[in-house]
Amino acid sequence: MSKLRNVAIVGFAQAPIVDADPHHTAPEMLYPVVKQALASCGIERKDIDYQCAGSSDYIDGRAFSFSQVLEVMGAWPPVQDSHVEMDAVWAAYLVWVKMQAEECDTAIVAGFGKCSEGSPTHVLNLQLDPFYHASLGLDHISTAALQASAYMAKSGVDDAGLAEVVARNRAAGAANPDTQLRKAASAKDLQGTPFVTKPLREGYLPPIGETATVMVLAVEGKAEKMCDKPVWIQGVDHRIELQTIGSRDLTQSASTRLAARNALEMASVTSAREAQVVELGSATPAEELILRDALGLPSGLGGNGASADGPVVNPSGSPLCGNPLMNTGLLRLAEGFRQLSGRAGERAVAGAKRALVHASAGHCLQQNIVWVLGTERRWT
Amino acid sequence: MSRAVAVVGVGQTHHNSKLPDVNCAEMVRIAVDKALLDAGLTHEDIDAIVLGKAPDPLEGIMQPEQYLAGALGAHMKPIIRVHTAGSVGCTTALVAATHVASGIYGRVLTVAFEKQSEGNAMWALSPNYAFTPPMVAGAGGFFAPYCRAYIMRSGAPSHIGAVVAANARENAARNEHAHLKDPMTVEDVLASPMLWDPIRLLETCPSSDGAIAIVLANEELAKKGPRKPAWIKAGATFTEPMFVPGRDQVSPLAGRMCAKFVYEKAGIKDPWNEIQVAEFYVPFSWYEPMWLENLGFAPLNEGWKVVDRGDQKMGRHMPVNPSGGVLNTNPIGASGMLRFGEAALQVMGRAGEHQVPNVKNALGHAYGGGAQYFSIAILGTEL
Repeated sequence: MSKLRNVAIVGFAQAPIVDADPHHTAPEMLYPVVKQALASCGIERKDIDYQCAGSSDYIDGRAFSFSQVLEVMGAWPPVQDSHVEMDAVWAAYLVWVKMQAEECDTAIVAGFGKCSEGSPTHVLNLQLDPFYHASLGLDHISTAALQASAYMAKSGVDDAGLAEVVARNRAAGAANPDTQLRKAASAKDLQGTPFVTKPLREGYLPPIGETATVMVLAVEGKAEKMCDKPVWIQGVDHRIELQTIGSRDLTQSASTRLAARNALEMASVTSAREAQVVELGSATPAEELILRDALGLPSGLGGNGASADGPVVNPSGSPLCGNPLMNTGLLRLAEGFRQLSGRAGERAVAGAKRALVHASAGHCLQQNIVWVLGTERRWT
Repeated sequence: MSRAVAVVGVGQTHHNSKLPDVNCAEMVRIAVDKALLDAGLTHEDIDAIVLGKAPDPLEGIMQPEQYLAGALGAHMKPIIRVHTAGSVGCTTALVAATHVASGIYGRVLTVAFEKQSEGNAMWALSPNYAFTPPMVAGAGGFFAPYCRAYIMRSGAPSHIGAVVAANARENAARNEHAHLKDPMTVEDVLASPMLWDPIRLLETCPSSDGAIAIVLANEELAKKGPRKPAWIKAGATFTEPMFVPGRDQVSPLAGRMCAKFVYEKAGIKDPWNEIQVAEFYVPFSWYEPMWLENLGFAPLNEGWKVVDRGDQKMGRHMPVNPSGGVLNTNPIGASGMLRFGEAALQVMGRAGEHQVPNVKNALGHAYGGGAQYFSIAILGTEL
């Protein structure tokens, strides 16, 4: 890989993740977050070259939903702008590409999604093949349950194993003031919750909430002036697979494996184990185990592989403690930023210098992005 | 562009009010296969895919890039999905160009589509925003006041819109892919029902099914052929909010800034004399004179005079929309990329019967939202 531009995450802010914020529209939720993110960098909107939002018309229940946040993102006088109909973590990716093309030096990324204004279950059904899958009434929970069943059959992980994964994340989430579920739960208690769709229990599924998120990115030379500890992007790659549930091996995530291989190679890092922090976009316990496999990380079940020198996985509590659609991925990247820039408070992983961040989109981990972040610049 | 980027292949479907023999995936695949064939490439040669389309409710599939991953040949590749309202097609092509300009990707496939027969455009284009009374008037009802304001401001005579529409139809008749091609005179247009004053039925874009795919490549790969590439000399997207006191909805500042930006990047000082053909996003006839002014081809309030003189017709000074434009083909999400792709074909000298002679520079333009999103590209025969 030839020499690329060093790009850093220099600021992040978010609204609290809640079940529903009935008193504020999406722009109203986003406005204070934009101001907070810019203020945290000591800059004003005019210091930003480019903006990109990530959101979904279907989630918000209106066409062109993204156009309503232009006012609060500060698009006057007119600005260079784009929008991806994806989780905002892909807006961050587009910004990174834009910076590599030398088309901008500073950018803000915004995520929002008023999940409470619609029915995510019905909306995510419409994401599936309209002829063969959507018409069956499948939604994100039933497809995840099919995947979990397949994984359990192949790996031998049982119900108690799934509960253990969730309990670990819930314990981490309890120490994260920015997530939604901040109450620890024991594996035994979680196993006592009823099935939603077998083998996934109520306690194994995250609440779908809503928030607004803003990230500030800048290139070397500008980043240092905007943040005391810029977090450098050392590598990144993303990949998608075929959607058809029956045509891919649901027990593994081939696209995550490939994206991770490419991102690690770009970062000149040999293995995910070289990171001190790993943050995964897993919304079910089976997804976490599949992603661990894809990244070459031990399952951590029953003390397996939980060695002292391995990375801390999901210090935020992962999406299992809060899954505000269209923001969930960007929140993972934000956790990497917080951990490496001394902004993780009580849950800070001591001595963290490198983080591997994953985020996902679609049913059954169809599309995946992997970032390698570090406290040091990658290219000199 | 920090690194040179070129169009090396273009493919589009035929456009119609309903393409009943194909579903979304099949329709998209036709455009993709044609673009790859045109570029002399296969899926293995493509490093990444950038897909654009307008609101998902138009077809009823949420984030259809997930479902379409197979049809796009995206398996195990990166894919980005762009949505910037009506401007999305051109913006999507520019996002793909940025991917190549980054140096990370050598060849990128960019695709845009809309299958409007699967949904109800009037409904999907009448969004319900907080604190704003829903007009339930679709795009025509929304833009008619802007056109009326233009007429009042410029003193344009009332036949100008009809002249634009009749000329666009004459052009569409030469475009094998166009949706509407039946002959239509100025008198026919003036006799058609008034839908949203001053916009008559025959001054309005249709709802179309259709898709377009374009292959972009870096300099080294573009020069390998098989065809003469069209170089992207400049491209930009500028956006402004809906609710700004004093915002000029008739000639939006974002459009003017976007045009100024790309002309500077492309080294163009006098667009009217240095650009030989332009494809503007004209969904309602009056937008042709409005964009002639907004993009700097005519002085303020004098765009209609260009139309009155006929200087934007085929065979005249600078043809606008030789393809027939959005007025005759409008798969919304694809319409902006059709402007970009048609501009590329003109530069490559491969626009067929609607080819403009001796094109060195061509402009592709799209806009969207409430005249808020602007996207412009300049394509040229030389870097």
